[in-house]
Amino acid sequence: MNIDRDEARRIAGLAHLEFDDAGLDRMAAEMTKILTYIDQLREVSVDGVEDRDAAATPMRADDVQPSLDRELVARNAPAWRDGFFVVPKVIGGE
Amino acid sequence: MSDLLELPWTEARGQVSPREYADACLRAIEQRDEHVHAFLHVRPSSPASLPIAIKDNIVTTDAPTTCGSQILRDFISPFDATAVARLRAAGAAVAGKTNLDEFAMGSSTEHSAFGPTRNPWDLARVAGGSSGGSAAAVAARMVPAALGSETGGSVRQPAALCGVVGLKPTYGRVSRRGLVAFASSLDQIGVVTKTVRDCAEVFAIIAGHDPHDSTSSTHPVDDYTADLGAGVQGLRFGIVREAVEPLGGEVRANFEAAVDVLRRGGAAIEETSVPTIGMAIAIYYIVANAEASANLARFDGIRYGHRSERARTLDEVYFDSRGEGFGAEVKRRIMLGTFALSSGYYDAYYGRAQRVRAKLRHELAESFRTFDALLTPTTPEPAFRLGEKTDDPLSMYLSDVFTAPANLVGIPAIAVPSGFSAAGLPLSLQLMAPHFAERSLFRTAGFFERETGYWRRAPVL
Repeated sequence: MNIDRDEARRIAGLAHLEFDDAGLDRMAAEMTKILTYIDQLREVSVDGVEDRDAAATPMRADDVQPSLDRELVARNAPAWRDGFFVVPKVIGGE
Repeated sequence: MSDLLELPWTEARGQVSPREYADACLRAIEQRDEHVHAFLHVRPSSPASLPIAIKDNIVTTDAPTTCGSQILRDFISPFDATAVARLRAAGAAVAGKTNLDEFAMGSSTEHSAFGPTRNPWDLARVAGGSSGGSAAAVAARMVPAALGSETGGSVRQPAALCGVVGLKPTYGRVSRRGLVAFASSLDQIGVVTKTVRDCAEVFAIIAGHDPHDSTSSTHPVDDYTADLGAGVQGLRFGIVREAVEPLGGEVRANFEAAVDVLRRGGAAIEETSVPTIGMAIAIYYIVANAEASANLARFDGIRYGHRSERARTLDEVYFDSRGEGFGAEVKRRIMLGTFALSSGYYDAYYGRAQRVRAKLRHELAESFRTFDALLTPTTPEPAFRLGEKTDDPLSMYLSDVFTAPANLVGIPAIAVPSGFSAAGLPLSLQLMAPHFAERSLFRTAGFFERETGYWRRAPVL
């Protein structure tokens, strides 16, 4: 699998990561090398193989549980005011 | 009292007061860690029957949890991980938080944003990773035990490189609540100690169901020390041909010597074939990175963690905070995972990897119809030099070639010291067992340890 600069830019956008052109080229080359190794998976026959584990994750009862202490949450917030996380304007911006 | 930390925890704890034990650990950390850099944070001494080091991706209320990342450099969790809470309830205290590859992504602890951990046996070499700080802290006799985490070998590989015991439990055996998520279908908290008995006893404290982690198992917790003295007479072990055949040199010779120890103990040993085991790293780097790309989406600069100073719009908060906060390896893995899940490639990569993973699971299940455990070396080589693999991600990834299969299949595995290379570097034997067969792993590893006694040799710092 060959990743070029444009494909690396597309993936970076999906991942909310930003690179300059040199960074994109470096990332594209590294991903190409790693994906070339990973491409050996195509040579494995998986005919008739079930791809799911039989055991499903159990559901718990939907009961009210104690929440996190709000002050402790606020302590880690980058911006916090009156019990809310402060973020840049979301609606009606540029 | 310096001999205290040479003793197994299960012997030392009865000989001194909790205050003396905790003080001895703190002194050892103060004397030795400037050379090793196993710790990112050290706690003041607090009387404890078990002073334990905790990998810094397992959350604690009394110390920061950075995950080795700039993006979490100031983060202090509002709650304790369940494993930590259970340890505290059993009389343990957090001695400190240990260094790791950023978000546990790496095999050398060189991808920590706060500098690498050094191998106590040779300070020019890596401690392994990603739980390199935990393994080095135990190897250097700074603490009797440490928690690490595993996604593809991150406890066993550094334990092997540092010459200590490392357990990766069955998936779901230990609660993942409070373990910062990397790849949720693979992650599991593990234990690093000097001896097998210490490992079994610490593991017994943290094992069991947790209502806060719905993937934690309700399977009954076993008596993990019951068979420690039982020996291996009558057990059957398989040597995985595909893993061992390509090996040469001292790792091969050491492995064969280790197998002979088990054979002399009365175990039946045969070669067996697990044809798909060679695909483990290829599967791992699709599955783990795909899950990581989703899990690490939460680091967006909004609720906790780093927020870029220069961000003016919401998009800039996301892009700039992540761009400044994540290191190169984390970005590389997010990129690979995002690619593998992206439209047009999902079936060819993620879907394919999951099916090959299922094939591996069937093959290993088939092996365990015949064998009590499968044997391989833990790593294909002893500790490599700092910087040796940092420019070649693929060669770094391949140091997990023997450990990743257990994570992909969810089975338990243990790394136990098996001797030393000519250069004096630790070597390690790996045992893999069926789901929930930790008791059997401790039995065999305990026998091997008794016969060989490699844990008694300590690095000179």
